[in-house]
Amino acid sequence: MKPSRFDYSAPTTVDEAVALISEKGPDAKILAGGQSLVPLLNFRLARPESLIDINGVDELDYVSANGSMVIGGLTRLTTLEESNSTNGLMAKALPHIGHRAIRNRGTIGGSLAHNDPAAELPAVLMVLNAEVTATSSTGERTMTVSELVGERFFETTLDDSEMITEVQVPAAGVGTRYGFAEFSRRHGDFAIAGVAIAITVTGSTVESAAIGAFGGAHAVRLVGAEAALVGCELADAAFAMAGETAAAEFPTTSDIHGDADYRRHLIGVLTQRALRESTDKEVGV
Amino acid sequence: MSTTTWIGKSAARREDAPLIRGKGCYIADIAPPGVVQMAIVRSPFPHARINSIDTSAALALDGVHLVLTAADLEGIGAFPTLWRLPGQKHSDTPALAGDKVRYVGEPVAAVVADTRYIAEDALGLVDVDYDVLDHVVDTEKAIEDGAPVINEVWGDNIVIDYTFPGVNALGEEGDVEGAFAEADHVVSGKFRIGRYSGIPLETRGLVGVWDEIAQRLTLHSESQVAHLLRTELAGALGIPETAIRILTPNIGGAFGNKWDRYPEDILVSLATMRLGRPVKWIEDRREAFQATVHGREQVQEWELAVKSDGTFLGLRGRVLSDQGAHLHSTGIGPAWVTGAVAPNQYRIPNYQCQVLGVGTNKTPNSTFRGFGGPEGIFGIERMVDKAARTLGIDPAALRAHNYIQADEFPYFSPAGGVYDSGNYPEALSKALEAVNYEELRAEQKTLKEQGVHRGIGIASYIHVSGFGPSAILGMLDYYTGGYEGSTVKIDPHGKATVYTGMIPMGQGTETTLAQVAADQLAIDIADVRVVWGDTDQTPYTGFGSAGSRSNVAAAAVMKAIEEIKAKAVRLGAQLLEADAEDVEYVDGRVSVKGAGEMKSLSLGEVAQEAYWGHHIPEGDQPSLEATYVYDPANFTTAFGTHIAVVDVDVETGQIEFVKYVVVDDCGTIINPLLVEGQIHGALGQGLGGALLEEFVYDSETGMLLTTSLMDYLLPTFTDLPEFETHQLVTPSPSSEGGFKGMGEAGCFPAAPAVANAVCDALAEYGVEVDQTPITPNRVWRLIEEAKANT
Amino acid sequence: MSDVISFDLSVNGELRSVSAEPRKTLADVLREDLGLTGTHLGCEQGGCGACTVLLDGEVVRSCLMFGVQAQETEITTIEGIGSTGELHPMQAAFSEYHGLQCGFCTPGMILAAIDFVGRNPDPSADEIREGLNGNICRCTGYQKIVESVAAAATEMSG
Repeated sequence: MKPSRFDYSAPTTVDEAVALISEKGPDAKILAGGQSLVPLLNFRLARPESLIDINGVDELDYVSANGSMVIGGLTRLTTLEESNSTNGLMAKALPHIGHRAIRNRGTIGGSLAHNDPAAELPAVLMVLNAEVTATSSTGERTMTVSELVGERFFETTLDDSEMITEVQVPAAGVGTRYGFAEFSRRHGDFAIAGVAIAITVTGSTVESAAIGAFGGAHAVRLVGAEAALVGCELADAAFAMAGETAAAEFPTTSDIHGDADYRRHLIGVLTQRALRESTDKEVGV
Repeated sequence: MSTTTWIGKSAARREDAPLIRGKGCYIADIAPPGVVQMAIVRSPFPHARINSIDTSAALALDGVHLVLTAADLEGIGAFPTLWRLPGQKHSDTPALAGDKVRYVGEPVAAVVADTRYIAEDALGLVDVDYDVLDHVVDTEKAIEDGAPVINEVWGDNIVIDYTFPGVNALGEEGDVEGAFAEADHVVSGKFRIGRYSGIPLETRGLVGVWDEIAQRLTLHSESQVAHLLRTELAGALGIPETAIRILTPNIGGAFGNKWDRYPEDILVSLATMRLGRPVKWIEDRREAFQATVHGREQVQEWELAVKSDGTFLGLRGRVLSDQGAHLHSTGIGPAWVTGAVAPNQYRIPNYQCQVLGVGTNKTPNSTFRGFGGPEGIFGIERMVDKAARTLGIDPAALRAHNYIQADEFPYFSPAGGVYDSGNYPEALSKALEAVNYEELRAEQKTLKEQGVHRGIGIASYIHVSGFGPSAILGMLDYYTGGYEGSTVKIDPHGKATVYTGMIPMGQGTETTLAQVAADQLAIDIADVRVVWGDTDQTPYTGFGSAGSRSNVAAAAVMKAIEEIKAKAVRLGAQLLEADAEDVEYVDGRVSVKGAGEMKSLSLGEVAQEAYWGHHIPEGDQPSLEATYVYDPANFTTAFGTHIAVVDVDVETGQIEFVKYVVVDDCGTIINPLLVEGQIHGALGQGLGGALLEEFVYDSETGMLLTTSLMDYLLPTFTDLPEFETHQLVTPSPSSEGGFKGMGEAGCFPAAPAVANAVCDALAEYGVEVDQTPITPNRVWRLIEEAKANT
Repeated sequence: MSDVISFDLSVNGELRSVSAEPRKTLADVLREDLGLTGTHLGCEQGGCGACTVLLDGEVVRSCLMFGVQAQETEITTIEGIGSTGELHPMQAAFSEYHGLQCGFCTPGMILAAIDFVGRNPDPSADEIREGLNGNICRCTGYQKIVESVAAAATEMSG
């Protein structure tokens, strides 16, 4: 399984990179971590004429947190895993992403740009109301991850000339608690279904809820379940109701690893489990 | 009398030294000067007519040297299928598709170029004009009226319809009708065993080197039966067998899949002969899913006639074996074995089984570890648990009640085979003890109240190993032998070289045979060298490397050494001026009995004399070597019982292991550490097939959907439990050394043990797990259906 | 070939010159251009770990990188572990505890295990299983690999 021919360039600055992207046109692909792209190249499912290797663009490798997190697009997932600045929900999700070797090369920008519907990060970042800066040779713009994803899978709403350069994760509100539950056939596999949750609670009443789901047609916020939870007492009844609502609105899909009904059912189960985790004072931080 | 110093020892593996340093030499590592690379154009359709193939654009690509299509194969033969039961229709393995393609992945053309990269560039330039035909990928649909016929010469999609008549080796016939008429209950079951296979981590590969001057082909091949490959390749290519040499590199796992002869064996050979330079082909992972033989896949229907007290009266069934698009090297063999082992460890005198080989538009189904045994054991062990449930009898007690007892051997199975020895009740009781069965059952009830669904699943098995006496294989219409040969040579320094026809594929054959030789010669294991993997040097292998044949290879070594020791005694007697009856071979020395050091020679001293040749006794020849080709007297019957303890998450269908206990009996053990490793490895594959692994074809399009390791799921570290293994030793009375083969045993009971455990865990729902793999999705559906039906 | 690039790679402490197309994977460059065939290819899609090497001390799948990408990094392959005559404790443990059968997954497994133990010096059996989960073995059923790694960890922590 050998890739088809491509011409290769390796810019070392953002300016160089976006210039090359414009120059090479729509038949070019950006190579970041390569953990998703290179298999496609090896299978010849993708045959770009040009490959723009941005691994040398060191200025995009950074993590900082001052309340909110600011992450360069080329930051490796392992860096995030090992950083003290990393948001709690991201910290729960990161160990589920593939294996160590994959995370050593995979980048946050790459994961978002690839937008695999079974991937953890897009949904997690949607829940965190994260924003993404995309840069091109004509400038830059910022959008929410939800806007980036739209209802797409394996592509985003970015146009061919744009490259993700930064991700901003707003500071969590006081008392925010997190839950994460994923079901996959084997540890490290892509999810058959997964749920990421951020809730704020006053006393034992839900003030706000953000529920992200993955493993279906595309990463999505389950807004109906979120709304239904607001004002509820934290108890099994609320969890069950949220689970049912979440399952009903989940854009389910079917493949050899899980049929549509099963995935929908799992979302219901995982929503309850993630909610339970988020309310567990020890675990839900 | 020799002291056993090496048999039974966990000797360190001599194979390890290069492998842990990355200095092994696998097929992909071989790169003779000037080597060029092959890639194969494969059918993208399950069933299509080939109208034309235009290779001009591919040939025009810079770096491309050759493109072969069927038109270039005039005079080239196909590989035969070796198991040919009476009434079986003709089916063989051609090197390239002829006028049509019959499965996704069937080879259509071969391209040779400077690099694999360029060869793959050229694949897209070979223009094949297909007319797509209707396909069938469902086993049962393939035998319905109106199904597309895949092989016109068969007339339909049934290649063989064979019935086990239920007559044992003594000619005694059962009475199946009577048994079912007499039964208090008839338990029935229908099972679908999923399609999966060995998936060795190293894919297949070949390097062919044609010497134009010597007119000789050297083929570097991972074939598990190198000599058979040589013989069949000579036939297919139409060149003398003396013109072919097969050299075997390190093999990165094989599991039966590398036993067969494949189209690429012919294609690479032809390419190097036509180009006059070395040609290399390394299968990539995507190809491997389409092009390396699949295994298992059966639809079985069984009925078990039982009395209320639990006694089994009769067993009858039908096995549909999904053979894929055509028969491959071992063809219908695994399906036959299924029928042969189904009665398992139980006394069931009345038996009948119909086996149908069914053609479908899928990759051929052939040799894979277990070879039909796991399929047969799945059926019967699930039936036993169904009977237990119907009768309200504990599944362990029901088994114990029906086992063949230790004093009933040799046992003449109604399926025709003869079990040599065994102690089935002991294996079960040892397993029950290991899991603390009584306590487990009590705990199970408590956990149930807490909402934990724990289940216990038992599976007993026989494993017919040491395949097999050649004459019997002939009677079974199997067209090779079952022997193994060994040549042992003692050099003038008294060190031994053992030549074996066996092909090591990771199981430690070199170490094992060195242990046997060192033990029998009573010399240091470091003084034994084992030579394998060169058909110019090694004895012809009858059946080759199957996991369960190290016993046959070991026996050949032992018998050759017996001759050497006898020769050494005769020569030693001459040298010591004694009568041969007064001289013995003990502890690596030839000595006059009771005469001490004065009248004793070392093996080296005797060997040196043998090569000088000055004092050779009348009737003997100079040198000290012997060859023995050992044909087993009987199949050996390894056996055991496994118990799986699992927790089922009823919300997700996920299955977690709590415990997995193995009680295994493979006769006399040569190297305990290696035996344990084989059990674990076979279990890994058995559990893989039970829970995760499956080739999936889309019924609408006929496409193979599992085309990568992300689709076809191999078990990982966290998918397999810790295994608790216990060995019993019941030596085989019919096998030299008492060894039985054992490399496959672990995969026989794995799936039914898990299936039985899941059913037990979900007993309150009345769920029957009758399909593998037992995926969480399927478990969830079974629970939902059961809930809906109440 | 006009698209062949010349570049240098530092592998096992040695600077080596390579000429290859940019599409040639790091695994193929190591195996074919540099003759280091200890790194094996099991799938070419990052699914098995047989091609594992260390890049600047971190485990990576060499089938998912192009050779040209590895310039200005330090690559360690299995051939760079231990030395002639002296095995790394991990290699020794794999042999002693029968953590290999066919040996095909072994180079990648040993490198992954060395990396893992370096970060988890005193791992439980469950942690070893979780930590090495990205490396597939088809022969051993994993149990003896776990024993090998546990033994090596004890040895390595002195």
